[in-house]
Amino acid sequence: MTSSETVKPAKPGGLATKTLVLTGLTIFTGLVLAPFLVVLLNAFKSSEDYSQGGPLSLPSAIYFQGMIDFWNRVEFGEKLWNSFLISASVAVLAVIISVLNAYAIGIGRLRGRTAFLMFFLLANLLPQEALVYPLYYLSKQFDLYNTRLVVIIILTAIQAAFGTYLLSSVFRDFPPSLLEAAALDGAGKLRTLIRVVVPTSWPTLSVLFTFFFIWTWNEFFLPLIFLIDNDLQTVPLALAVLQGQREVDITTTAASALLGIVPAVLFFLIFQRTLTRGVMSGAVK
Amino acid sequence: MFRTRKMGVVAAALAVTASLGLAACGGDSGDEGDSKTLKLWHYESPASGLGIAWTEAIKQFKASHPGVEVVFEEKGFEQIRQNAGMILNSNEAPDIMEYNKGNASAGLLSKQGLLTDMSEEVTKRGWDAKTPASIAITSKYDQDGIMGGDKWYGVTNYGEYVMVYYNKDEFKKLNLEVPTTLAEFETVMQRFKDAGKTPLAVGGAEYPAQQIFYQLALSQANTSFVDDYQLYKNKVNFQGPELTNGANKFAEWVSKGYIAKDSAGVKAEDMGVSFIQGNAPILISGSWWYGRFSEEIKYDWGTFLFPGNKLNAGSGGNLWVIPSSSKNKSLAYDFIEITMKPEIQNLIGNSGGVPIGADPAAITDAKNKELIENFNAINTANGLAFYPDWPAPGYYDVLVGGMQNLINGSKTPQAVLDEIATPYNDNLASLGK
Repeated sequence: MTSSETVKPAKPGGLATKTLVLTGLTIFTGLVLAPFLVVLLNAFKSSEDYSQGGPLSLPSAIYFQGMIDFWNRVEFGEKLWNSFLISASVAVLAVIISVLNAYAIGIGRLRGRTAFLMFFLLANLLPQEALVYPLYYLSKQFDLYNTRLVVIIILTAIQAAFGTYLLSSVFRDFPPSLLEAAALDGAGKLRTLIRVVVPTSWPTLSVLFTFFFIWTWNEFFLPLIFLIDNDLQTVPLALAVLQGQREVDITTTAASALLGIVPAVLFFLIFQRTLTRGVMSGAVK
Repeated sequence: MFRTRKMGVVAAALAVTASLGLAACGGDSGDEGDSKTLKLWHYESPASGLGIAWTEAIKQFKASHPGVEVVFEEKGFEQIRQNAGMILNSNEAPDIMEYNKGNASAGLLSKQGLLTDMSEEVTKRGWDAKTPASIAITSKYDQDGIMGGDKWYGVTNYGEYVMVYYNKDEFKKLNLEVPTTLAEFETVMQRFKDAGKTPLAVGGAEYPAQQIFYQLALSQANTSFVDDYQLYKNKVNFQGPELTNGANKFAEWVSKGYIAKDSAGVKAEDMGVSFIQGNAPILISGSWWYGRFSEEIKYDWGTFLFPGNKLNAGSGGNLWVIPSSSKNKSLAYDFIEITMKPEIQNLIGNSGGVPIGADPAAITDAKNKELIENFNAINTANGLAFYPDWPAPGYYDVLVGGMQNLINGSKTPQAVLDEIATPYNDNLASLGK
């Protein structure tokens, strides 16, 4: 958020505009951050404190027990590992599959590519609820129900559908000169893909990887359906355990939400540089 | 640069391979009925009255069944609600689990053949005698999966009912007595209103408003109305005296200021918090609040039954059910047996729950005792009337909308009754009644 904000010398008369824009941006940032602040505020309150003071009061004492209790109750470490395992596997596999598909469709100019793209787009638009029963019966047939593997396979397919769609249009504008040069050097199709196409589009691929990872991390519905045993479940499912039938435990929910957000934020911060690079890469060339 | 990139790819590929290997060995629990394990699920938080009692029950089960491993998992309510049908239809089903009572939950699963008919064991072990008649209704289902049937598909340890929570300090300030009739109750509320306080905390965006409406309808009703409304024995006249009284009184309470005009958007949680903070002196809601109130309210408070009512919203609690695919049914029955024992029942009572068979003499806390005695009084009078949203799928939202119209005054009571009658009758038609 702080990097690359060195602005060029302003145009004359820009001060008023700049102040206005800055004020606007500050307000917006405040609005975006407000819910997180409320979560932060309530995560360190005892339930009693919350009931007495309401959601906006400052905690009367910093209270860690809610977070500790939650961690132990759902064995959060295990959930983190499951989420990481599933998200990382999906992100890697989905990027690989997207590249292979898009190479055929975007660069290979496969016949009927428009139809293929339409198909992938449609698959993306399909609500997950419609997929549940067929997938449920299939997974039972293959003895994969209640395994992490089935979630990885399904989400890889879903993410790769989007990835294929996106990458195909990126590859369509791939500089032909590079391909010709590779062909002149006697590179085959596979070699061209590995040595020319993938390195050139690396920034785009890392953006895809990051998005796939975060999307999979936040995925709730399909893991809910397919991961039955507690020791296979992911972070969003662990957070849902707190939602009782009639009662909601606000402070513990806030504490757990904080625990759930932190990994995603960390991941984003780590990959922030590749993200900005990927987004800019098309623009500069 | 290129080299590190390559290393990254290799590492990622390794991670994937490792993960696939790991994933493949997860989740096979194909051990057949060896009577060596009891796979048990419930979704009560460990600190709640039931959570405490059931933890103790598991401990006692282990003691009386040495060599049996208890595989307990605390589930999310949402996961069980969404998935129970699919899980029970697979190899992953537990041997025994907690499940929601009602036509749309336990009833539906029993109709699909996914639950064990427990009738024989229930009579043999005498659980039917321990279960008050109006509690048993939600444990028994007929062949269409409608409650009040002839076969036991679940057993419950506890009940729940709607009552009035009140702030004793505020009552004392105005020299008010606990009301015993509806008229007296209205006088009490008027006194608060005159003193410049809105008497009732109401959550109009969720279940609380419809339960007040239902309590008011029940004040004019007898058991045959409940049978008609909940068990479809006869057609219900939505413009009849019961529901008309419910809607009219509710609208009257809004116009007299007993219910705040801005409560249409209030959630149940906020309603509870406003009572805990002492902003409203009276709250009409269920026994599920009891435990939290005991822990968090700083002033002197108490409960009484809805004044003048013979019938009250409430029901048996969630059920212990045994999936048809359970591999260790006899162990599951043994576990239920333990939860029905007086000591576990008393433990539920002492932890702020409402057990079906507690001995009031064994309850140490005076307030808990009052809670249980009130419940026993309802049961002796056969006075549990279930909840207004039970009769039809999706009826909860219909009622929330109807009550919001009453609170906002955007529709007359008659119009609201017509509005909520349609989905009810549509459901009847789809059941072929």
